[in-house]
Amino acid sequence: MKKWIKLILLVLTLGQATLVIAHAVVTDYSLKVTPIRANQPDNIELTFNSKIELGLSQIFLVRKGDKHELLQAETGSKQGQIIIHIPALEPGDYAIRFKIFAADGHLTEDVIHFSVS
Amino acid sequence: MAGIADFLDSLIGGFDLICYSLTIGGLFWGLFVLRPWNNQDGYNAVLLQKTIALIYKGGFLLAAAQLFKIILKIWLMTAVLERWPFPEFANTTQFIGGIIRTLLAIFLAGYCYQTLSKNPFSKAHWTTASIVALPMIISGAWLVHAAGRFDDRFMLMSLTVLHQLAAAAWIGGIFQLVNLWLLRQNNRVTAQLWPLMLHRFSWFGIASVAMILVSGLPIALQYIDTWNGLIGTGYGNLLIVKITLLAIALGFAWLNKSAVREYRISGDHYALNNRVPYYIEAETVVLITLLFTAASLASQPPAIDISNLTASWQEVLNTFSPQIPQTNSPSHVALIAGEAGRVAIIDQVPSMAATEWSNYNHNIAGIFLTAMSFFAMLSYIKHLPSSFSAFDKYLPLTRYWPLGFIGLGIFLFFRSDAESWPLGPISFWDSTFNNGEVLQHRIATLLVFTLGMIELSARITKNPHSKLAFVFPILAAFGGLMLLTHSHVGFQAKSAFLIQVGHTTMGIFSLILACGRWLELKLDRPGKDIAGFISVAALFQIGIVLMFYREPLY
Repeated sequence: MKKWIKLILLVLTLGQATLVIAHAVVTDYSLKVTPIRANQPDNIELTFNSKIELGLSQIFLVRKGDKHELLQAETGSKQGQIIIHIPALEPGDYAIRFKIFAADGHLTEDVIHFSVS
Repeated sequence: MAGIADFLDSLIGGFDLICYSLTIGGLFWGLFVLRPWNNQDGYNAVLLQKTIALIYKGGFLLAAAQLFKIILKIWLMTAVLERWPFPEFANTTQFIGGIIRTLLAIFLAGYCYQTLSKNPFSKAHWTTASIVALPMIISGAWLVHAAGRFDDRFMLMSLTVLHQLAAAAWIGGIFQLVNLWLLRQNNRVTAQLWPLMLHRFSWFGIASVAMILVSGLPIALQYIDTWNGLIGTGYGNLLIVKITLLAIALGFAWLNKSAVREYRISGDHYALNNRVPYYIEAETVVLITLLFTAASLASQPPAIDISNLTASWQEVLNTFSPQIPQTNSPSHVALIAGEAGRVAIIDQVPSMAATEWSNYNHNIAGIFLTAMSFFAMLSYIKHLPSSFSAFDKYLPLTRYWPLGFIGLGIFLFFRSDAESWPLGPISFWDSTFNNGEVLQHRIATLLVFTLGMIELSARITKNPHSKLAFVFPILAAFGGLMLLTHSHVGFQAKSAFLIQVGHTTMGIFSLILACGRWLELKLDRPGKDIAGFISVAALFQIGIVLMFYREPLY
């Protein structure tokens, strides 16, 4: 009987697996005030509410058709800030998709949409 | 695989807190409640060995949990980043702090196992054990929510450690009371110890709860700066859940304290021996759930950081507002047609069909549960009001209400995975064994079906010693715990919260359902009947929440 209960609990555990929304969130980003200019390399600044382990994070540019391109980023001068280097982009709709490992141990995935015109 | 790793990560957080409570709460219990050096209290070696065993087993398990957390992080990062996370991970606070805490927990557990267990009546050794525990307690500060903050970091880290200590003192004490009751039941300790320890612990428990509130309030005020933040964010919502669970646990604590007071006034120990142990069992379940909720809270962004993503109280209320359940499902073709646009990042098109498909699933499941629990509530009634007395003869049939779970299982089988057999083009075997999510749904469906069979057998069995009946409350408690600890992906933070608020409400009702059924099986009358009715009334509430469920368009 106990074995059955343990087995049921185990499969229930696996049956409930989902990815959680984690702690680190973007509190500010430069795209709100400074749009990306067409056809020239540019930067996007993201500010997080928590310390970020940049070496364990990934940031992608997402183009039409959901094509992903890994981007380079560096730590900014302000607390929790990172600067993402964007290649020259033609006018159109894009997104920044990031997987961020925060200092408190949580992984966060999120997407920010933007347009180049 | 990343989903499983991440979910295990949130579960191991709760398990870590349980082990921490066993160890640190056990030390508090020894130092302030048991006080083994007072030989006149009538302690024996069995009690002391069992008490210390809980402490060092908790310590070793804590070390294992901490190590497992690190392994899970490595697994999760490898899966999400699609590369080996070293050497970068070796330089993080999480890795260094986690390894240090693991070693300190092993050292503490080793001391209790090697030295304290051989000198259980020595005050000096108990004091030394608590000094050995200090570095491990302090090291935990670098692994909490506050460690990643920029403002008031050390104050928040210190308050969090204090909060954890106070919670461990209370919850660890409850674990020790369960241990004492088991020894008392087997006549391995004197009968007088039970009321004596209950009396001492009731004062210690009050002090612990006061410290939980004193340390928790400034943390809450730091992370939640508005009433809307409390009502309209995931962080605030889980804090409300914690407060609700605390209130339920305090309700049980009050029942225990009243029984002790009655015993000290009248000398009548009936309630002390026939009710209090089961209240403590239920309180333990509530407190364990509280620890998992606390671990889940740490994965939520504080309300103060997401003011632009906070739901208004009107939006929160709207998720519970009564409305006609959706009994028409969109067609399978419409659902599949909308999927490509819904999951796209660029040019995303929200799918009304997906939202309505989900609403239909939830609402129909709600109708199942509401109808089942209505018949379940009727099963506790001997006679219907006089105007319905003609139906009295059908009342015995209401005990077959768990049959509804079987129907619900069949419904879920057809509706859970739209793209797979029997509705979708992917075959049964292909979908079941090549897609982890579909496999999980199939398992869950089978379990609902099995649960119906087990609970039905338990309700109609003529064997008074059958243990089948205990499966239902255990699974209900586990289900409640799952509802309180899992979040929703694929949604914006505000939409995810509006879904979460309904699920956490159902989680609390699941816990009430579990505790009620457990007490129904354990208590005597009239408590038994009251607990049983509360239990199925909680199931009714879950049905109502599901019946009015509306998913945000995404």
